[in-house]
Amino acid sequence: METDFSEPKRQSAAGVAVMFANHLQHSVRVLIFPIILLLVRAKGVNVWYLVAAFLFFLFIIAIYSYLSYLRFTFFLDEEKQEFIIQRGVFNKEHLSIRLDKIQQVNINQSLIQRIIGVYSLDIDTAGSDKKEASIKAIDHHTATILRERLLNRDIDPDIDEQSAPEISTKSSPLLKLSNSTLFKVGLTSNYGASVALLGGFIFAIMETLKNYTEAFQLEENPIKALSTKGLDLASTCVLIFFALLIVLGTNIARNFIKYFNFEVNRKKVVLAITCGLFEKKHTLLQPARVQISSYSQNYFQKKLNLLNMKFKQASFGTADDDHDEDNKKHDIEIPGCDETERDQLLQMIFDNIPQKEATFIPNYRFLVLTIMLRVVFPVALFLLFGSVLSYLRPYFWWIIPYVILVVIMLYFEFKHHRLYLSEGFIIKKSGIWDIEHQILEPHKIQSITTKQYFWHKKADIGHLILHTAAGTIHFKYGKYAEIHLMVNYWLYNIESGKKDWM
Amino acid sequence: MQDFTNGTIDITALPKYEEVQFNALSRKYWKVALLNTAIFLFILALAMALLLFFAKETRSYIYVFAAGYLILSIFLIMLYQARIKRTGYAIREKDLIYKSGIISIATSIIPFTRIQHITLNEGIFSRMFQLGSLHVFTAGGGSGSITIPGLDIELARTIKAELTRQLTNTD
Repeated sequence: METDFSEPKRQSAAGVAVMFANHLQHSVRVLIFPIILLLVRAKGVNVWYLVAAFLFFLFIIAIYSYLSYLRFTFFLDEEKQEFIIQRGVFNKEHLSIRLDKIQQVNINQSLIQRIIGVYSLDIDTAGSDKKEASIKAIDHHTATILRERLLNRDIDPDIDEQSAPEISTKSSPLLKLSNSTLFKVGLTSNYGASVALLGGFIFAIMETLKNYTEAFQLEENPIKALSTKGLDLASTCVLIFFALLIVLGTNIARNFIKYFNFEVNRKKVVLAITCGLFEKKHTLLQPARVQISSYSQNYFQKKLNLLNMKFKQASFGTADDDHDEDNKKHDIEIPGCDETERDQLLQMIFDNIPQKEATFIPNYRFLVLTIMLRVVFPVALFLLFGSVLSYLRPYFWWIIPYVILVVIMLYFEFKHHRLYLSEGFIIKKSGIWDIEHQILEPHKIQSITTKQYFWHKKADIGHLILHTAAGTIHFKYGKYAEIHLMVNYWLYNIESGKKDWM
Repeated sequence: MQDFTNGTIDITALPKYEEVQFNALSRKYWKVALLNTAIFLFILALAMALLLFFAKETRSYIYVFAAGYLILSIFLIMLYQARIKRTGYAIREKDLIYKSGIISIATSIIPFTRIQHITLNEGIFSRMFQLGSLHVFTAGGGSGSITIPGLDIELARTIKAELTRQLTNTD
């Protein structure tokens, strides 16, 4: 393929194979239960019929894949500044994407694509339409050129042509993660996710074991025996040790699969990020599109001088809940870097390293309400239930470690809840174990909410909520008079400045 | 706070959003709220009547039910009244401010340059009283948007037109 995208183009011919694999995978996933049912029921039927049916099934999918390959075209409309994808076998679909709405263009490679030697090009738009725009089979050269075209629409095409080959010749990267860094990152982060994964895994094993013993009516259920006899101290310790080992192991393995060969390169004004062991990911990040930049660190990581960075981009409609899957898709994570590398990256994003000039501390009432809600209230409820249900009483001593743990956690939450301001930057620090700094530029604010409970009027305490396209930032229990000043200043900034948020 | 002044601007001299005079919602909105409450209370009364009719053993509690119902009605009406009294909006030269809440009073501000789109909704009861509610959306999602209920429909249309004009101006 040459570099002219003004005419409708098909994907690489190998795309048929990729589509075939995708469709096969998809239909098997959908039809797996009917197929199993059919196989179980159809014991008497001649095996050859089944084989024939299977071949027919493959044939249909192959035809379908070929048709969808033929029908899939894309082109770049230079006049309207739109990228257009046409697709659909039975009903034709016309997808047009305005170039200025494109946030990110990723070149990825799954295992199948790697075998065939093609790439997929995924376009991430900041539009509310959820439809994914992606080209499933394209060679690397065309993909990189198309990506440049889609992103750097203002730049002369001549410069584009020159810069295209430069991509393949590696310049020295801005940041490169060595295996030892990845190992360290795996050791010190994401405990929560791994524990949840492990918990789910153990639960699944227990369930199957239970079913198994029930199905075969075994006398002795190993799990039951465990729970009735109880564990002595030594075996508990061994068990905990193994659990810890598995958590750390999965953590490290996950990190290696996801972030193997992680590299950040600087290309003109954008950051190019590549990583992945099986599935290769290439992401281009445009600094202007970043809404919130954050870095976080826990106690161990601090000792190792490791930081975890995240760049959040606009995600329409889902900005309410920060933990939404769709929201995370837009996040770009840098699993490990040190302080100088962090400053380099921030310098690239902001043209400036954010400073903490003025510090704002929440009122001690921050602790009052949270302690009421998370300590006094649950304990009171537990005691109340305990006084009615006598079998709860032997567990009353649990209250003591619970109260101690929660109070310590709340204290740290309070201690880390800070807002820092400087010319052009808002920095919010928060967290209990992982301490996160979120950096926001005032012109990225979409709207501001200030809030005050009526009993805080006298104490002049209030809350501040900054809404951005990539989520909200809360500062609680601040001095309301100060919050008013900040808000007026930011409003002045947004409304007098010409800086757009995207 | 002096830390982030720029020399040329005095932060305390900037326009203060917290001292803005708010416009109240339309008086007629109170009727819509009452109508809504009345319908809710009617359905509740119906449910209670059915319960008393079919479950005979609950009949001895009829006075408790009646008292509870009365208290709830008064409470709901007072709640609505308090809410409407505390709700207000203001339009400045460059932004839209909306204030509401009973236990906590929240003030939201949307600069015109950050508005994505505006919709005007008319419910059944609202339409009876020529009222409408204005939704102003930003890229900040649901939490970053503002809904102003109980505006006179003509006024709401004017505001919408004005905001839309501002939007196209800034583009």
